[in-house]
Amino acid sequence: MPHQHIVKKFDKNLEKIKATIVEMGGLVGIQVNDATAVLLSYDAAEVDRITAYDRIINGLNKDINDRAEILIVRRQPMALDLRQTLAPINIAGELERIGDHAKSTAKRAHIIHNLPPEDATLDMIAQMSMITQAMLGDVLTAYANADIDLAAKITEKDNEVDVLYKQIVQTVIETLSKTPDTAESLIHITLIARNFERIGDHICNIARYVHQIATGEDLKASVDPADLRMDK
Amino acid sequence: MADPIVTARGVDIFYDTTQAIINVDLDILPNKVTALIGPSGCGKSTFLRAINRMNDLIPICRMTGEMKIAGQDIYDPKVDVVALRAQVGMVFQKPNPFPKSIFENVAYGLKIHKMTTSKTELQDRVEWSLKNAGLWDEVADRLDQPGNSLSGGQQQRLCIARAIAVKPRVILMDEPCSALDPIATAVVEELIDNLRKDYTIVIVTHSMQQAARISQRTAFFHLGTLVEFGDTKTIFTTPVDERTQNYITGRIG
Repeated sequence: MPHQHIVKKFDKNLEKIKATIVEMGGLVGIQVNDATAVLLSYDAAEVDRITAYDRIINGLNKDINDRAEILIVRRQPMALDLRQTLAPINIAGELERIGDHAKSTAKRAHIIHNLPPEDATLDMIAQMSMITQAMLGDVLTAYANADIDLAAKITEKDNEVDVLYKQIVQTVIETLSKTPDTAESLIHITLIARNFERIGDHICNIARYVHQIATGEDLKASVDPADLRMDK
Repeated sequence: MADPIVTARGVDIFYDTTQAIINVDLDILPNKVTALIGPSGCGKSTFLRAINRMNDLIPICRMTGEMKIAGQDIYDPKVDVVALRAQVGMVFQKPNPFPKSIFENVAYGLKIHKMTTSKTELQDRVEWSLKNAGLWDEVADRLDQPGNSLSGGQQQRLCIARAIAVKPRVILMDEPCSALDPIATAVVEELIDNLRKDYTIVIVTHSMQQAARISQRTAFFHLGTLVEFGDTKTIFTTPVDERTQNYITGRIG
């Protein structure tokens, strides 16, 4: 654990940003959970309620950005402090995108709720949701505790999500030819699966930021822009 | 990487029996700004002053180890200290123009080192120095006025003009902006960045932001030891030593 700042408010400012990220992540987790539940048991009012989460989550995203901005202006953070200030801006952006995917999922519930009960894709969607929710919980714990070992394990779980996504796409392709009347629902199932696949990716991005905050190392493969310029 | 212009090896500095600098090895690269940072009393100014033997003026101060400039041991008894200080100029915390005219302030070093052979050459060199210090346009029509009639920021640039007039290899700056307002500070920082094309600059500063803005290399001193030295970007983003991290982020170490 790093030492306390001489200016105690500096610590409080950073703690408040961290707490707001955890709060935002918790809400996003509820939204993902509820969006999955409404797929399995359609309720129009519930869809509206889940969609309305969006405004709260966007508000928290703005709050985190504002707090980071004012902290930079007041404290000119360096090194670990700078990463603890900048990374939440990106993490909040990732969480907000996860919320968007949850909303998109909930909004498709009215189309897919008439799929036959024996359809296997819904079960696989539920599995994707369960894994991504566990990943989200882990990444928030990793963020709160600066636990880079836990963050590193999240990518492995995302592989399971990717496998399920491919299985769903394959199942949809096979089912479409047999029962063309369910085409609309199945296309939306694919899009919902895509939402969860993207949710997994956003969580992996957050795990990368957790690593970057603690170590200063960016794990994302990148190329120096200078190497890409035509006129170099 | 270019050869260092200043090399310190095993430098120990004592004030009487108190050791202020402990076994410091440090290479200063040419045409770079090297910032020395650290808490008050860490020895950074003492180390800075060792680079042009300003500590010789303090009777109880003694140094052991090796300090070379361009390969020459500056503590060799044969070294002419006055000539050394022409090679290694210094700008202080508080602007300290001589009680002379603006022109004479800049011409002073040129005269005592007999660096010009004619009045025209002297005038040209004074003009060149004031231009390079970014002051010429503000004083060209009043060169005969006292140096201390200028504003604080202008006086500090006059002192920089005085230092560069004798074309030193290295310019040492001991908190050169601490007595200046933010605008005058910005002007001096811009000047420092321009000067490094032709000079090597070593600056002591208490401002982390200033060190991050203007230097390419940063050395962190703590309790007389050199804790960490490297590229400024690395020092201020991913320092290796916990003491450096605690200092630059304002934490209780």
